[in-house]
Amino acid sequence: MSAVEAAGPEAGKHRGRRPLAPRARQVTLAVAAAVAVVAAAIASLTLGAVHVPLSAVLDALTGQAHEGPLKQIVLELRLPRVAEAIAVGAALGVAGALLQGALANPLASPDVIGVTGGASFGAMLVLLAFPSAIALLPVGAFAFGLLATALVFALAATGPRGASITRLILAGIAMTAAFQAATTSLMTAFPDRVQSAIFWLAGGLTTTSWSNLEVVWPYLLIGFALALALMRPLDRLALGDDVAASLGARPRTIRLASALAACLLAASAAAIAGLVTFLGLFIPHVVRMASGTSAHTYVVPTSALCGAALMCAGDTLARTVAAPTELPVGPLMVLIGVPLFLYLLRRAT
Amino acid sequence: MRLRGSRFAPVPGAPLLEARDVAVTIGGKPILHGADLTAEAGQLVAVVGPNGAGKSTLVRAIAGLQPLSGGSVRWSGVDVRELRGRTLARLRAFVPQRARVPEGVSVREAVRIGRSPHVGPLQRMTRADHEAVERALARAGVAAFAERRLTTLSGGELQRVQIAVALAQEAPVLLADEPTAHLDLGATATLARLLRGLTGEGLAVVLVVHDLALAAAIADRVVVVHAGRTIAAGAAHDVLDAGRLAHVWQIDAELESTSDGRTALHVNWLGGGAPAPPPPPFLQENEPHPEERTSAR
Repeated sequence: MSAVEAAGPEAGKHRGRRPLAPRARQVTLAVAAAVAVVAAAIASLTLGAVHVPLSAVLDALTGQAHEGPLKQIVLELRLPRVAEAIAVGAALGVAGALLQGALANPLASPDVIGVTGGASFGAMLVLLAFPSAIALLPVGAFAFGLLATALVFALAATGPRGASITRLILAGIAMTAAFQAATTSLMTAFPDRVQSAIFWLAGGLTTTSWSNLEVVWPYLLIGFALALALMRPLDRLALGDDVAASLGARPRTIRLASALAACLLAASAAAIAGLVTFLGLFIPHVVRMASGTSAHTYVVPTSALCGAALMCAGDTLARTVAAPTELPVGPLMVLIGVPLFLYLLRRAT
Repeated sequence: MRLRGSRFAPVPGAPLLEARDVAVTIGGKPILHGADLTAEAGQLVAVVGPNGAGKSTLVRAIAGLQPLSGGSVRWSGVDVRELRGRTLARLRAFVPQRARVPEGVSVREAVRIGRSPHVGPLQRMTRADHEAVERALARAGVAAFAERRLTTLSGGELQRVQIAVALAQEAPVLLADEPTAHLDLGATATLARLLRGLTGEGLAVVLVVHDLALAAAIADRVVVVHAGRTIAAGAAHDVLDAGRLAHVWQIDAELESTSDGRTALHVNWLGGGAPAPPPPPFLQENEPHPEERTSAR
């Protein structure tokens, strides 16, 4: 029997079931996501209350534009916003991919380690209790996001029996509930100011300057750098802690570092864009289902691209669909994302 | 034996693996005290004993996954506590009792994970690494379904994939904790032939196994662990006599081997050996426990 015959039935069945070879599917998705990021960025830079032609955008970006309102609109209003959208989308995509991998739990997202609940409380504290210090909003959201996660880890990872994933998740849910209660209490205490908080809670990009990114860029950088370094260690956890440990990996260290990176990224994202953290839950699932692989070396970077593309496209839509009214991007992305997610969920094997 | 890029310095003449007087305490509870085990290249060592005797703990301690509270484990004469994770991973492969079966991971991707001790933190897999992965897939007989997802495999196929993951490490010793548990007869025999074949190629295999007839058929040496200690070690027929079977497992049984390699354990399942167990609670007199009575008051 020849080698071809031996491989025949298996290989034939395999090819018949899937239209694309696994590798081709993965490359297609990554390239499509990259193209989508560029397209969404171009759309965001050209479209809006004032239409800026693509040539003018390119001139402004390459420093060849004459001084004038068009250059100002592109460089000072729209470019920061595009940068924020890409940063937030990528941060949340990566945060979710890291947590789902590290906790080996498909429901893991920045919500489960408490960072979302903490960030909302921090933001509401500034918005409602100290509205004169509105400039501190991103700092408040970021600081309380970190604090909540630190508390979750302090409670779950210490103690006589060490950390277990279940304890971590339960502590995260409890901490989120506590911070949510505190947030609600704040809102009841300052009912006349709640109006100003709704946009932040809905999630969206409001600013048109570099001020937010100036606050959080170092944390984003650390988060992304950690994520890059953690991709391969996370793959080694796939067969369970025993196998990982026997191969010389340190499962606990990998988990802690992943949670730290996810927390920095999600807190930064919340500081910029409010509560859009659900992106972190569903982007990595979309990537895994559409590509057919769970390898972190693929899922983490592709989740960054997909998150950036969705956030950037969503923000452009939110600005332009009902102009001059700006829709909050959070609910809009849920409208786009949920049908896609459910479609893939039904198709996934 | 030398390892590329490692300071591992084997002691000449020392046994490949030697565990002496191993003690392990977990959560204040002594699990092992006085467990011994040695293995040489080309040997298959079966670790047998009743449930809860400490077999798994012994193998995990030998593998460096469980801190010792006493005794020593030496790999080619080097204390296991002096070996870093990645160095140790090139000395021994460990197949756990229940490995996680992740979604969305193919057989080949899983076996590549087994190669990771040879790939530095910032390096990529070389051609030699890819070849080692393909060799491991072929040797364990899983190459034909290398592209399939782990979640689609049968129990026997999955267990052979675990062996392939271990073989990709290209370590001279393979430790496996009950790899034949939950397998049917055919899959058990396939796995047994695979493991025995590996010793023929110079590997040392240490196997935790419950099936004494299987252990007698494939093992060069059988190590009997009972209540946290090694109570006997040697050829199956010397250590698994009727007296020891009665003492350790509380059964009336006899091991039989024929010259053509068949083995059987003849067990008097319903008689002899064990003292009669106490009657189950539902047959006892329906009387509340003394403590319950006090608390009810």
